[in-house]
Amino acid sequence: MSLMQVRDLRVEFPLPRPRPFAPRPVLQAVRGVSFDVAEGRALGIVGESGSGKTTTAMAAIRLQEAASGQVLFEGTDLLGLDAAQMRARRRDIQLIFQDPYSSLNPRARVGDIVREPLDLLGVGSVSERGARVRDLFAKVGLREDQMALFPHQFSGGQRQRISIARALAPGPKLLVCDEPVSALDVAIQAQILNLLARLKAELGLAYLFISHDLGVVRHVCDEVAVMYLGQIVERAPVGDLFARAQHPYTQALLAAAPSLGRRRSRGFKRPLSLRGDPASPSAPPPGCAFAARCPKAAAVCRDVPPALDGAGHQVACHFPG
Amino acid sequence: MSLLQIDQLRVTFQTRHGAVTALDGVSLSLNAGETLAVVGESGCGKSITALSVMGLISSPPGRIAGGAVRLAGEDLTHASEARLRAVRGAEVAMIFQEPMTSLNPVLTVGDQIAEAILLHQDMTRSEAWTQAVALLDRVGIPSAAARAKDYPHQLSGGMRQRVMIAMAVSCRPKVLIADEPTTALDVTVQAQIFDLLNEMQRDFGVAIMLITHDMGAVSEMADRVAVMYAGRVIESGAADDVLDAARHPYTRGLIGCIPSVDHGGALAEIPGVVPPLHLLGAGCAFAERCAHVREGCRLARPELQGGAHSVACFGAQEGWV
Repeated sequence: MSLMQVRDLRVEFPLPRPRPFAPRPVLQAVRGVSFDVAEGRALGIVGESGSGKTTTAMAAIRLQEAASGQVLFEGTDLLGLDAAQMRARRRDIQLIFQDPYSSLNPRARVGDIVREPLDLLGVGSVSERGARVRDLFAKVGLREDQMALFPHQFSGGQRQRISIARALAPGPKLLVCDEPVSALDVAIQAQILNLLARLKAELGLAYLFISHDLGVVRHVCDEVAVMYLGQIVERAPVGDLFARAQHPYTQALLAAAPSLGRRRSRGFKRPLSLRGDPASPSAPPPGCAFAARCPKAAAVCRDVPPALDGAGHQVACHFPG
Repeated sequence: MSLLQIDQLRVTFQTRHGAVTALDGVSLSLNAGETLAVVGESGCGKSITALSVMGLISSPPGRIAGGAVRLAGEDLTHASEARLRAVRGAEVAMIFQEPMTSLNPVLTVGDQIAEAILLHQDMTRSEAWTQAVALLDRVGIPSAAARAKDYPHQLSGGMRQRVMIAMAVSCRPKVLIADEPTTALDVTVQAQIFDLLNEMQRDFGVAIMLITHDMGAVSEMADRVAVMYAGRVIESGAADDVLDAARHPYTRGLIGCIPSVDHGGALAEIPGVVPPLHLLGAGCAFAERCAHVREGCRLARPELQGGAHSVACFGAQEGWV
């Protein structure tokens, strides 16, 4: 069943006027994005910096104001809720951030950090909360005697475990993970990714998982949406996307990801390196946003924006495959 | 003889925990025209190795306590500051992880490249400027003559790294040290920078020391690999040998824990974290995290042995790992 359904979500940021009295230009960060997150499943959103992946997720959970669209969470449109109603919904949707150094209060003991959401939401009695915090510490692989320590006494990987425990405290159904391992060392990344995969299975959690790293997404997600300049250009079950990427941009991303199979000693030559940078989101081109960098682009691509088409494996391209 | 030969290099730092040994007898060699990858997690000594080659260890608190760095036979650890200034840029150049902080924000990029040229070559200002523009064109910056007048903040991250590379190759160095050159960049831009580095190597014959934590990058770029852990080289050899038949448990862990685009499923984990340098005991620094550890591993430190594909592990040397 669908836990969250996002429909035609748009986010715009007004830019400074170029001169007095001129109309304010608008940066279209998210341009009509739709996706579903099913109960207990993980949807990965991948894309490069500036593609709008974080803004999409933040708008979906109302940490960023949306210009228009609909976000149905268990049938309720989150965008229509008032502040108090939204607050009550927050226990179902929790968040872990990229940087475990700046997302934990440096002056609070980590046990209190994990406990705080329970106190705020008034979950259970005082002793029940204490037991829940101890239980959470065990779940994320930390020791009970570490509860009295401060964040600076932990390594990056352990801090990310604390963030995860804090996010799990209110018993959420959806966890939004914004680049949860990109600030960590490679060896530690694997520990956190395996932990997230285990928690998903144990607790039946759904993830909205934002990452720039296709390899990371492959290991955690069930479904993947690829974003480019504020739009989803391809969406497919994870195995399908990696085996049969249809959009030239997805293909370029896969070709660019370093891989152990490509050896300098065997004369590895990259088939296709993308030229140039993405177009500006303040003046998106009329046709396909990727046309200027696309090796297959034809006249139609520059004039007509392709729609996201297909069942199961969707692609927004005039010449997929 | 190797172009760059690091022999038993020892670097210590004065810290509040007393003197710690950041590099403990590191030996590496780089031959003309090849790429050597130096791999490891944060804090293993990769960057300190690079900085010692450039004579950039700040003293105090740092000190080169032993060993030698020989560039074409000349020991740079005993070179005068004037001699080092002549070497830096002209014979050994370096590019860094974050191109924004390594460029001067108040000078145009053309001026910065021209400055490097003027320092090392006998040329007029306008000749140096012409050459700077030619270099920017050479590293793939479109309309180079106009971009040369831009300030760093007007360029994208990938463009800035191209500027750094143009500056680094401006005096035709023999050795280029690239310290995590793509960590701050998107994956498609990373691919462009890797391709560019390879092109520069082909055209200018420069030997590259690539410092990275990414085994995928090693596979695509390196002829040879040195894996570092806690200030020592623990395995080194030809890239194919190390990637296909890693001998040290740490190297195997590093290869197994990369989230790859080639397959899904659970990742191999290296438990724990790199120990703080001031807490290193007499035994193998990896013993606490090693699945194969035996009593002897905690008593004495294994030395790097074994010719072309060498390893510092008792188990690998005695055949029980």
